[in-house]
Amino acid sequence: MTEQTGQTEQAQQAQQARERIVGWARERYEDLSFGHARRWCEEFQAKAIGHLPVYAPREIIDAAGMLPVGILGGGDQLEIIRGDAFYQSYICHLPRSVIELGQSGRLDFLSGVLFPSTCDVIRNLSGMWQVLHPEVYVRYVDLPQSDDRAIAQRFWEGELRVLMRDLGRVAGLAGPVSDDALRASIARYNDVRRVINELYNLRREMPWTVPTEELYLLLRAGEVVPPELFIEKTRAYLEAARATPDRVRDRVRVVVTGAFCEQPPLGLLKTIERAGCYIVDDDLLVGNRLLVGEVETEGDPVAALARAFVERARETSVIYEGDVDGKRTLLKRRAEAAGADGVVFAAPSFCDPALLDRPMLKAGAEAHGIPCIAFKYAENSAQFQQFREQAGTFADAIKLWGGQ
Amino acid sequence: MTVTAGIDVGSGAVKVVLMRCEEGSEQLLSKVSARIRRRHVPAVIEETFDATVAAAGVETIDYIGTTGEGEEVPFATGHFYGMTTHARGGLFLAPEARAVLDVGALHSRAVLMDERGKVLSYKMTSQCASGSGQFLENIARYLGVSAAEVGELSRSAAAPEKVSSICAVLAETDVINMVSRGISTADILRGIHESMAFRFARLLRSVGAEGVALVTGGLAQDSGLRAALQDALDADLPGAAGGAKRPRRAREAKPLEIKAHPDSIFAGAIGAAIWGAFRYTRLDLGAPAWRSGMTAASASSQFAS
Repeated sequence: MTEQTGQTEQAQQAQQARERIVGWARERYEDLSFGHARRWCEEFQAKAIGHLPVYAPREIIDAAGMLPVGILGGGDQLEIIRGDAFYQSYICHLPRSVIELGQSGRLDFLSGVLFPSTCDVIRNLSGMWQVLHPEVYVRYVDLPQSDDRAIAQRFWEGELRVLMRDLGRVAGLAGPVSDDALRASIARYNDVRRVINELYNLRREMPWTVPTEELYLLLRAGEVVPPELFIEKTRAYLEAARATPDRVRDRVRVVVTGAFCEQPPLGLLKTIERAGCYIVDDDLLVGNRLLVGEVETEGDPVAALARAFVERARETSVIYEGDVDGKRTLLKRRAEAAGADGVVFAAPSFCDPALLDRPMLKAGAEAHGIPCIAFKYAENSAQFQQFREQAGTFADAIKLWGGQ
Repeated sequence: MTVTAGIDVGSGAVKVVLMRCEEGSEQLLSKVSARIRRRHVPAVIEETFDATVAAAGVETIDYIGTTGEGEEVPFATGHFYGMTTHARGGLFLAPEARAVLDVGALHSRAVLMDERGKVLSYKMTSQCASGSGQFLENIARYLGVSAAEVGELSRSAAAPEKVSSICAVLAETDVINMVSRGISTADILRGIHESMAFRFARLLRSVGAEGVALVTGGLAQDSGLRAALQDALDADLPGAAGGAKRPRRAREAKPLEIKAHPDSIFAGAIGAAIWGAFRYTRLDLGAPAWRSGMTAASASSQFAS
């Protein structure tokens, strides 16, 4: 066998491995009945706890021996029948499809659901869940929203300890989740964040190697599988992706922002890239990498987890930002870090946190000479022509006229 | 000096050109178009590209630019959006034009541009098919007329018959009724042209076109459509019959001359090739996208990865 033939075979094997992993992730993304999570619970005689976006301390669920399951709505694959009866037309789409998932029995394997303080709609949904599903544990998780770090740290530690106690009880432990179990879980999730960062770094450096569609499918799979499995699959994907880069195209590099809660349909992400953009940074599923850097695994693990959130949480619209200049310069910093040419504001219709922040973020970016476009989507948007038109003309404007 | 290719993948046909660009001057080296019909689109693209390259006899191609539905052409260097390429291609074909009306098989759009080919405004027809080439082709087939005859026949009409200007389905029903009523083919075609022209005139006015507008796309060579469009635009002008009763915006309309070019169908591909040359220089790519001996399928990436 010649050297060239050997290389071709290696590339083919890497391509097949890549397709297998993406297929594995897609299967989990499309499975609205959470069949794989259910089977995991049966196999390990364990329970599962769901959580809504944006950030939930998955480490505590994992440390209690339960499976954390991200609940991100039904996307464009779920017909909403019952969900619409619960919400007015001016409310975003996510809670409707979450209600639909719950009312249709698709979430009946969950022993509890955490509702992080993302917005009023999620808070309202937590109340509905208590009424509709009295048999499961429901907790509205108040994230600290204070400029005073000491107060925020004390408050968040208290909240985390409540979760340690409650989830220990739900899991059937003799007492609260132990510190040792939490330290071990923090170490696992440090690995999760590390591998996600590696994925984002590779896409930033060589976006033709990691299409956002594939990156996103992996992240979505990571929301419903144990951390060890996600790490294993993502490492294998990284290896395969490096071995099978796509042809480099003349495209502009963009940051996509505003999509941190209700998730865009996969078709929208594909449309943006097909229209002539490489997405080099985004805030999709930002909760999985909200804590920047390693969380300490020595000492008090609750204090370490709280400190990481208070001191090193990624900036997002659902966490209070007292520094106005910080908000104004946020996208400049993100665009610079990603080497981006422009910013695409893609927010869900009626998303208060994203749309209330948008004017200030956009004005801040434009004041720094960063070209921007903005559009709104719903998780079940099916027509992408207008997005294609906007993203295409935006890419051309940057390539030919510097974004003017 | 750069040699670039432009590939315009439409819903009805693939158009490919090769251009030589040097210090602000551009020269069309070769051009080939092929109807897709029911063939596999990637195969049609490859065949058309290879034929265009063979016709030009060039040794290298520096940048392969796509437009239209060509986002996924695997050997392309970059893609440009349809508005951008038709504006630039229109300017190459008619330097005096400041607007382009692209009438394709499925969509139509009016684009306003400046003297550099920068898009200032644009508007597309909605999803309704009655402003498209496919619609006219269907009507011609019902009437047993070839596409080449449509324009001349329409211009010979003595008493054009009005048809629905809203919906292609209703318009087709209208045409069937007209045939059964014994209306002449020429009068039916002129009626269809007037219906389409009314929509196109509104598109052009809505983007603020004035001066010269070039018709591009598959229907650019239809002299009957162009004549009907010119008449519709002239009827908008102050002083035209019924002008005082028209809406204010129409009464303020400025003269607009409709033109076409024998290569109008290649405007998108030409624009993609010219913008490709611009990007090749700006990116300082150095390596070509294609060398003699390669086929479309074996063209390689010239970016350092």
